[in-house]
Amino acid sequence: MSVKWRVWLSGALLAAVIAAALYFPALRRQVNKAKDITEKTAEQARRELLPVAPPTSGEPKVKVKMFWGSRSQEGALNPVIVELPLSSDPVLRAKQVLNTLLAGPVDAESRTLPPDAALLAFYILPDGTGVADFSDELRTSIPSGIQSEQLAVESIVRTLEANVPQVLRLKILIHGQEVDTLAGHVDLTQAFSVSSKDASGVKLEYPSAPRSLLPAPIEKAVEKVRGVTRR
Amino acid sequence: MVLDPAHGGTDEGAHGTEGIAESNEVLQFAAATRKALEAQGFQVIMTREANDNPSFDDRSARANAQRGSVFITLHIASTGLPGTARVYVEPEAPVPPNITGLILWDQAQLPFLNLSRKLGDQVQQELAKRFKGSPDTMQTAPVRQLRTTAAPAIAVEISSVSVQNRSDLESMVPGVADAIARGVAAFRPLYVLPGSPMPEGSAHP
Repeated sequence: MSVKWRVWLSGALLAAVIAAALYFPALRRQVNKAKDITEKTAEQARRELLPVAPPTSGEPKVKVKMFWGSRSQEGALNPVIVELPLSSDPVLRAKQVLNTLLAGPVDAESRTLPPDAALLAFYILPDGTGVADFSDELRTSIPSGIQSEQLAVESIVRTLEANVPQVLRLKILIHGQEVDTLAGHVDLTQAFSVSSKDASGVKLEYPSAPRSLLPAPIEKAVEKVRGVTRR
Repeated sequence: MVLDPAHGGTDEGAHGTEGIAESNEVLQFAAATRKALEAQGFQVIMTREANDNPSFDDRSARANAQRGSVFITLHIASTGLPGTARVYVEPEAPVPPNITGLILWDQAQLPFLNLSRKLGDQVQQELAKRFKGSPDTMQTAPVRQLRTTAAPAIAVEISSVSVQNRSDLESMVPGVADAIARGVAAFRPLYVLPGSPMPEGSAHP
């Protein structure tokens, strides 16, 4: 190889190295961006596609009875009054109270549902069956056991019963699918009776904490619960 | 008697400290309960004795294939006051019209609900005597395993896998086994199969 060719080849290689050095940061940015897109789960994509509940700031605040866990009575529920601007539409209203239930009380120990679970959809069938579709986290993050799963379902049922009278019974789906159990114990194949008018669902008989046992500070603290919807 | 240690295989159930897994611990409770029941004169069948995971239906089928059986599923919770135990019975549900005279698999527990409640009360009373803080009476919960079981059926849930020391949980084994055996023995004279013309006390669990 002649000297002239060696100079040309060295020059070409040097130019390629410089071009690569200039292009590398841009390439890295593109790879990171692509990674973010591929890591987005089907569930996140679905959440983004779901219609967002319209803001209800114009609605007057009403007293809403929420059922979280009792700290004074093991395995029981504790009714807590919270003031929220609830919609008059039963579907929006159900979404609002369930999202508030998911957002949880100020006191984390009274939580009945996992903090990372989300309500993906809620609709009411013509026969009065409310269908609540939750994200996978409702199954995967809940403490496994009959008591904890029963408390979770009962808190949803009682909260709907107290605030959405149009819902007669409740069917729970996970990510759009019917599942056998919540986390290995409580049966989700059947609908739960929400209203005393319903005669076709499974009737739950979970105890609520007596009013005399309620720790008063919790009730006041929970009134400060932030926002109606989680997202 | 059909004893069902819950979970197993890839389904470890509740997880606790010290690597405690419900599916393993519950085998110890089941083995001790089996001995206590056999000492009371009962024949005992286990739905699993190793680390496998039969389906809900396969477990129910062990009881449904025997006339006059009693079914108990054993669980260890991840919540609840440590050192306590609770008995759960299927809640009431609407009875669908059934002109076949056969028991429908999906509602197999319905004809046995009253018997399950009697069994549940007997076992819970015995547990409450031994484990302070346990409820005095049985509770209801829609436990999937119970729904397809055509026999008096209860779930016993022990708290919990969240104990600081594994020995705290394992110290409950003899008490739980004895309470279940005595509760079932007390239930025996009350066990009359639905629709059976047999007089009380003549059925043989």
